[in-house]
Order: sequence, then structure tokens, then C-alpha cells
Amino acid sequence: MNREEIEQRVKKVICRVLKIDQSMIEPSSHFVFDLGAESTQSVELVAAFEQEFGIELEDDAALAVKTVGEAVDFIAERLA
Amino acid sequence: MAITAPPRSAERHRAHPLDAVFSPRSIAVVGVTATPGTVPYDIFHNIRQAGFVGPVFPVAPGKREIDGVPAYRYLLDIPDAVDLAVIVFPAEVVDRAIDHCVRKGVQAAIVISAGFREIGPVGLKREQRIQALCAEHGIALVGPNCLGVINTDPAVRLNASFARKMPHTGRIAFLSQSGALCTAVLDYAREKQIGFSKFVSFGNKAGVTEVELLEYLHHDARTEVILLYLEELRDVRRLMETAQRVTRGELAKPILAIKAGRTPQGAAAAASHTGSLAAEDAICDAVFREAGIVRVDSIDELFNIAVMYAQQPLPAGPRLGIVTNAGGPGVMAADAAVRLGLELPPLASSTQQALRGVLPATANVKNPVDVIGDARADRYDVALRHVLADPAVDQVLVILTPQSMTDIAAIAARICQLAGSEEGPKASQALPRKPLACSFMGAEDVAEGVRILQQAGIPHYILPEWACRAMAGVQQILRVRQEAIDQPRPLAVDRQAARHVLASAPAGYLTEDEALQVLSAYGLPVPPWHLCRTPDEAAAWAEAHGYPVTLRVASRHIVHKSEVHGVALDLRDAAEVRQAFQAMERRVAVARPDAHIAGFIVRRMIPSGHELIVGAKRDAVFGPVVMFGLGGVLVELFGDVTFALAPLGPAAAQRMIRRVRAARLLEGFRGQPRADLEPIVQCILRIGQLVADFPRIAELDINPLLACPPPIGCQVADVRIRLA
Repeated sequence: MNREEIEQRVKKVICRVLKIDQSMIEPSSHFVFDLGAESTQSVELVAAFEQEFGIELEDDAALAVKTVGEAVDFIAERLA
Repeated sequence: MAITAPPRSAERHRAHPLDAVFSPRSIAVVGVTATPGTVPYDIFHNIRQAGFVGPVFPVAPGKREIDGVPAYRYLLDIPDAVDLAVIVFPAEVVDRAIDHCVRKGVQAAIVISAGFREIGPVGLKREQRIQALCAEHGIALVGPNCLGVINTDPAVRLNASFARKMPHTGRIAFLSQSGALCTAVLDYAREKQIGFSKFVSFGNKAGVTEVELLEYLHHDARTEVILLYLEELRDVRRLMETAQRVTRGELAKPILAIKAGRTPQGAAAAASHTGSLAAEDAICDAVFREAGIVRVDSIDELFNIAVMYAQQPLPAGPRLGIVTNAGGPGVMAADAAVRLGLELPPLASSTQQALRGVLPATANVKNPVDVIGDARADRYDVALRHVLADPAVDQVLVILTPQSMTDIAAIAARICQLAGSEEGPKASQALPRKPLACSFMGAEDVAEGVRILQQAGIPHYILPEWACRAMAGVQQILRVRQEAIDQPRPLAVDRQAARHVLASAPAGYLTEDEALQVLSAYGLPVPPWHLCRTPDEAAAWAEAHGYPVTLRVASRHIVHKSEVHGVALDLRDAAEVRQAFQAMERRVAVARPDAHIAGFIVRRMIPSGHELIVGAKRDAVFGPVVMFGLGGVLVELFGDVTFALAPLGPAAAQRMIRRVRAARLLEGFRGQPRADLEPIVQCILRIGQLVADFPRIAELDINPLLACPPPIGCQVADVRIRLA
């Protein structure tokens, strides 16, 4: 899976969990400040990414990810 | 990215920077969520629920609306001007929100979010960043980590907090460093029908502190009394200077405060008296008192006094008249009143005669007036009329215990009428308006009567002693108001000479010779002395200056001279001086072979006088502090000392002297000579200036300073100075 594909799938998950339009999402978008993720939704996002990509993500490290771009990098590293 | 702030338009100019906090024209709540029960949602909800008079904009990325109000993704998307931003985002993104505040031209920000200095270094860095941003761009910052701000002014109706309900409107302002306490206080106050003008939880006080809030409330027409809950003191000097101005002068308003105590960490055993006596809380007590702040120990006490002050006229003096239907509580009230500094005057004979004519034979017509257990409203009425009219009475306490025949509600209503409340102004027109409080003792049976009193603004206390404490608190407030504001002025001293001695001295104690030089440079009354290195030198000096003399070892390694027999008194001729010198030299060499001996100080003996202690220390919280007390060997036993911040002026120094319990001795008690206070005041001022001028001075003790009758005046008998 290349980075572009990962990014597309990450955006789809974000749209679903946060219930926002894809047009809002940029790689630099901060989950909280730009996309309005509440604290419970951050946990939901991690679980949704795990399910989408069939991987396990370490909670502490995953919750430390702040932007969409960082999330893509984080997942890409674990898929490689 | 550089942040550019928009130019501030002239028409948005405010009279005071905190107007945008308390009376904003528009509010944005930044970081709102759609989840009820979360702080971000509840804050937005509370602002709207309280009926804020201006527009409230939710900034909620990803949401179209919150509770039917159109939401914005960013603060910058709001087309209207925004005066106040209430930020509820998680701490990690608050700096981004503040960036937007700067770019939007917001004038004030309340940061509710936790996760700043209170969590450690990471949080502290976050806090410093937002603090710097706000300071640079002139944004008044409240918080972070706070409950919020409430303004009950009907023209504003601001509840920017996560308190459940808006408090009643009143004339009391409450400022708290603890958010957790605030909600409890609000609930407590609602139950007691106590209203507020303003209510502020200022949290970590990264921007706005209690000092700015006191200054603001000083000129707030809707605030009559200010309550303060503090845990941490920072800029004590500024707090004290501000409090002095607020509590004295033309616009004087009382400040009542709880300062939560903290155990000093690792209190080191201090060699000097000053160090061992100056526990931080005692200094806090003294500093608050000098600042005019009435310090109390509980929330109850805080509000008991505040309500008495705010809801009743001010008394002309401390004289209390008590009307009771129960002898026991009347006696307890009388005891409490006198213990707390109120007076219980006898009623005028005409009052007593009139009461005897209308009350049962078994009633007591002295003070307390006991109308007996079967008294109903008519008997209370007549007793209260006469007591209120008595010129010997400045304020009245009405006590009621619920007997089976007591018509509690009717009595309450009659009291309201006589006190001149709105319920029945006509009935009270013939009576002077004096402050009045009630104690309806009990709970269930008296509940309706208490409600009637509270609704009419008559202070009610479950126990008569609490009423007495409240009235005594009002007396404290009025006494503060009579005191002059202290104005320290620089004194003419030889700073250069003192600096010369201190610059070359190592850390630790100065020798007595060095300490005396420093004191002389600052104009302290040091009797002539000489540092001698030989017996002949000592004898020669004594011959030239007269007898009797004392001889004392001078060594920075020997602090307690008497322990090494390093003091010889009452030497009456040259032979005695030589002998004492040689003997002392031998004894000290044996007792302290390690000590470097600079020499021996010879000096004329000082005649006896009052033994005083004047000291100073550098406190971690309060900075340079002076201490005064009646000294000698008993000072540590009785601890009858008081403190003040240094430098200080004559007004504060005079008050220090008067506050010592044993001060009466100085006035000439039981045949003791009267001391001239002015030289003592000068000593205190000069020590204050010395310790303020030289941060290296960690501790200083003059014990004793002898207050001798004129013309001798004050003389320094012994001194220790320790350098950091």
C-alpha cells in the first residue's frame, strides 16, 4: 500500500468517526484544533485505524499523534 | 508564523483592561463540543442559560451548530468583533487559540482548561507561552486552570464558568485561587440567600492575579466587600500595597481573606531568635493585618462577617445590646462578645425603667435583656424598640430559642419591620437605624423565621457566638479604615560604609565588630566600642571612656558567646579589664580552639531599660521581613513578636509596636518607666532599610535593644548578622 492510499483511507476513517466533510481535512490538520476531535473520539479513532488497517497500535504512541500527516506516517511505518 | 494583531479601534476603547473580562459586549467560547456534561459544552450552555446580554459564538470545528446556534470552525471565521474568548480546548492547543485571539483583536481570554503549570514542567512551558503571548499583545488573561468568571450585574448577566447556577445578585465579590472550592461556595451562598456582584476563580493566575482584581473591584460600584481565598502568594509587596489602598481612604472597601496555610518545607533550625520565631504563617498574619486584610480561618467566618458588613448599616461603635428569650444563650453571647472585643454596656436607667414597666417581673432588663421563654412577638417588639433606641447601644443581637408558644415567623416579621427593612418601613421610622443580627437557634422549627429574615437582608447566625464574631469582624474592618496608609521613605544612611564591610565578609556570621560597623553605617544607636587585641589596649580604652565596661569575644565562629564564657560584665577598673581579657582569652582558646578570634570588644555598660528584640530575615515567600517584640531571654518562650515587610514607614512601625501584647510595658506599667517610642520606630525603620538594601543579609538579630529612659534612649546591646 503506498502513502497516498494510506492517506485516503485515513481520511475516510476520520470523516466517519468525527462526522465531518473530507474537504476539511489537510495533512497539517490538527485533530483537536482543526477537526474538533473530543477526547473520547481520539480513542475511537485509534480503534478505527486499527480495524481499517488490520494492525495493532500502541495506545500511548498513537494518542501522541496530533495531526493527520503524523497519523499517516505513523501507520505507514507500522505497515512497512 | 508571525502573528499580527489588528489595530485597536478607538471606539472599542475600554475604561479598564478588565472590563472586557467582566462586561464583554460579545463572547466566543473556543473549543465547544456537542456533548452535554463535558466542560466545553457546559460552559457554553451556562453562558446562554444565565442570559448573557450580548452575542455568544461557539467555536466548534466540525460542527454546524451547537444548541441551535450557528458554530464556527475558527475564532477568525466570526464576522463580528469579539471582546472575550472563553477557551475550553485541551491545554495542548490553547496556544493556537491564543494566536487566533491576537489576530482577532480579542481583549480578554479566560482559559478554563487544566494541564498547565499544575501538572509539571511540560505544563509550565505551555503556560509560559500563553502568558507571554497575552502580555505582548495586551490580552487580559484569566486562568488557566480555573472555574471561570461570573458577573451578576443585570446589564451583563455573565456566567462564564462551569458553576451549575447563576448566584443571586449581591454586593459581595469573591475571588478564589481554588476552583474546587468555588462551586461549594456558590451552593452554600445560594442556600443562605447570599448574593454576589462578581465571582472569579483565577486558577494558575498566569496573567490576572488577585492584585489586578482587587484594583478593579476597588472602583466597582456594584461591589461593597471583597472576599479572597488564596493558596499561593507571589508578589506580596504589590498585594500589600494594593490592599492598603483598597481598605483605607475615601473609597475604602473591606477585604476578608482565607490564606490556606502551608507547612514550611524543611524548616532549618536557625541560630538566631528571629529565624526560630518567624514561622511563615505568623508572618502572613502580620503582613495581612498591616495591609488591612482581615484574615479568617473558615468559609463560614468569611461570609458571616461579609454579610454583616454588606447587609446592615455600619455601627457607630463596639457596644452591643442583646435581646433574648433564653438566659443561657444570652450569657454565652455576652461572654463571646466581650472575648471578641465588643462591649456590653449597661442600658440607660430610663431604658431599664421603661422595660420594667412592660415586661414580666421575672424578665431581666439589664444587658442582655431576657424577655423570658414564653415571649411572643409583642414582647420582642417592645424590648427591641427600647434597646434600639438606647443611646448606649451601637448594634443589636436578637436571640430566639423555639419554645412551644414562640410565634417564630411573627417575631421574624416584627424584627424585619423594626430593623427598617423593606417589609415595614413605616414601623421603623421613629427608630434609629442600627445594625442588627439574629440568632434563631435550632434548625427545623426556626426554618420559616430564618427564611423571612434572610429574604429581608437581616443577617442570621445559627449560634449567637457567630453573630458576635461577625460584629467583631466589622469592628476590625472599621479600625483598619482609621489607620494611615504606610509610606516608606528612604532614610539618610551610609550605604557605602555598610557595603564595604559586607562585600569582604564570607557567608555565615559577621563578627560583632563587623556587625556593629554595619549598624552604625545605618544610623542604629550603637554605643561606642573598640575592638582590642591586647589587654592593655582594652584597659586604655576603658580608661579613656569611663567605667563600668563590658568585654566580649569577637569571632564569626562563636555565635553564642555566653556558652564559651565569652562575655564579662561590670568591669570597674583597668585591672579588672586586664584580668577579664586574659581569662577570657584562655577560656575561649580551650573551649573553641578551632575558632578564629578577631579580638575582644570593649564597651561601656548600658544602663538597664526595656529589653526589646528587633530582627530581620529574608523569607522565601515574603522577601525581607522585620520583626519586633519585647525581647531578652523570654522572647522564644512567649513568642510575643510581630512582623512587617521591609522596607516600611513610620505608620507601619508604630503599629508593629502597638500590636505586641506586652506593649503596655513600654507605656509605663506598674511603675516601670515610660519608653520614648520614636527612637524605637527609627530602629525598626533602619533595620528594614538595611535588610531591603542588602540581599546578602539572611538574618539579623538585635537582642536586646535596650530602651532606656531619656536622654540615653535606645542602645544596641547585642547583635548578630548572618550572610547568605
